[in-house]
Amino acid sequence: MSQPMDDVMPSAPDPSGDVAEVPKLRLKGVGKSFRLPRGETIEAIANVSFDARENEVCVLLGPSGCGKSTVLRMVAGLEQPTTGELTLDGEPIVGPDQERGMVFQAYTSFDWLTVQQNVEYGMRLNHVPRQERRERAEHFIELVGLSRFAGTYPRHLSGGMKQRVAIARTLANAPAILLMDEPFGALDAQTRWQMQELMMDIVAAANTTVLMVTHDIEEAIFLADRIEFMSRHPGRVHEEIIPAFKQGRRIGQKEELIGLAGYGDMERHILRLMREQGSDETAP
Amino acid sequence: MLGALVWILFFGVWETAVSRGWVNALLVPSPVDVIATLYELFAERGFLGDVGISIARIIGSFLLACAIAIPLGILMGSFKTVEALFNPFVSAWRYLPAPAFIPILLMWFGTGELPKLALLFLGVIFFLITLIMDHTSQVRAELIETAMTLGGKRWQILWTVVVPAVLPNILISMRQMLAIAWTYLVIAEIVASTTGIGAMMMRARRFLNTDEIMAGILVIGVLGLAFDLLFRWLQRALFPYLSQEGD
Ligand SMILES: Nc1ncnc2c1ncn2[C@@H]1O[C@H](COP(=O)(O)OP(=O)(O)OP(=O)(O)O)[C@@H](O)[C@H]1O
Ligand SMILES: [Mg+2]
Repeated sequence: MSQPMDDVMPSAPDPSGDVAEVPKLRLKGVGKSFRLPRGETIEAIANVSFDARENEVCVLLGPSGCGKSTVLRMVAGLEQPTTGELTLDGEPIVGPDQERGMVFQAYTSFDWLTVQQNVEYGMRLNHVPRQERRERAEHFIELVGLSRFAGTYPRHLSGGMKQRVAIARTLANAPAILLMDEPFGALDAQTRWQMQELMMDIVAAANTTVLMVTHDIEEAIFLADRIEFMSRHPGRVHEEIIPAFKQGRRIGQKEELIGLAGYGDMERHILRLMREQGSDETAP
Repeated sequence: MLGALVWILFFGVWETAVSRGWVNALLVPSPVDVIATLYELFAERGFLGDVGISIARIIGSFLLACAIAIPLGILMGSFKTVEALFNPFVSAWRYLPAPAFIPILLMWFGTGELPKLALLFLGVIFFLITLIMDHTSQVRAELIETAMTLGGKRWQILWTVVVPAVLPNILISMRQMLAIAWTYLVIAEIVASTTGIGAMMMRARRFLNTDEIMAGILVIGVLGLAFDLLFRWLQRALFPYLSQEGD
């Protein structure tokens, strides 16, 4: 299991840094309408704009139904935006690709493959030579703490372990950005915070940009370098929140985070937002 | 184990009923007689040939049906356009009971092997296609989308995700449809055949040899059970990852 060696991870990129640099991920005026079977359309999100920087953990937070998953799926290329544009490293996003690997809330381990084979799967699709494939898989399996289970079939793994397989499988495939849609949403509280702490280790070790969806406030503040708080009907970015009280550090353990001055205020602030935006009076 | 009890009771009542003369022994032979007749059929009357023919008919027509139904069902379940193209045709055929085709099949193909194979084939293929199509379309979207975000192309995903995900269910569908194939086999052999287990039973009827008829029924039952066990074994051999025990 994850056993953070020290409390403080290498420092996160400074969110208030140079404005001129090209952001890793950029959404500009992105809107999405779904056509319902009856022919009407519903506007799921409207005019969503935000940037995520290289090696940053960006969290999409907001009440249920505000369009977090829709935004993430458009970044993944699984949905096409109705308006606006999405770019990764300055290149427009068209369709799903290896460079934008996604971890879902539902378990997605391939039952017929062992843990090792699951983690090698993406590399096999992309014709990575066998030797390199094996070594990279072993590296990431170790990173998520599953070395003992490399030869096991997913059926015998717990939910948390299955999610670790999914994370290792995505990272081993060397994506430019890791997308996660409530990856710990189906886990019990204990496993959930263990996974959150493991996530901090992984982000530090794998040095990757992460865009993650959650509606767990504590999880968002713990993991995020930047929080995009979304509101509903239609979904849009209501407020960008930078957990500045972390002073650009990545905290390895939750009790330390909660002990920091400024944590309480931020949690209260977001709770209030959740209450305002989540209640249905704000709906049209 | 408890299930065996009922069987023992069943044979016990049967044997007693015959030996006490509660039933006409000409119409209901005792279980012991049936076993003796069975031995005689195999040892002296070349019954093995009939059984062999029946099995060959089942396997031949069933494999042919599978060879078409599996790829077609998977494609129909994976691609909307393929479904739109074939499904109206396939689902219409499911409303036509295969035995309704016996007269016309006999007219077209005479009395050789072809009408029997055709009946078995028609009786099985359309249901098999539909079952496989449904199972394929139920492969979870997250699995496919995961593969897409790992860089998988359409055909790669079909081969490496959809097919392995649906394979255990295809085997289950095959097992179910094979049981139905046996039903059609017996119909075909009773109605229009001079060879096979069913034909033997019809010959026996003419001479009031009820023991032979019952022996035939017994053999059909045992063969059905054997094929079912074969499929269960295949299930475990092909998909070890589904088993409950550790590795
Ligand atoms: N495929 C679709 N067809 C029609 N409407 C959709 C579709 N996907 C999403 N929506 C609608 O878009 C809105 C946003 O949905 P989305 O799943 O993105 O929200 P979310 O923030 O992820 O919610 P949750 O926290 O419950 O997961 C909802 O009103 C939903 O009903
Ligand atoms: Mg969602």
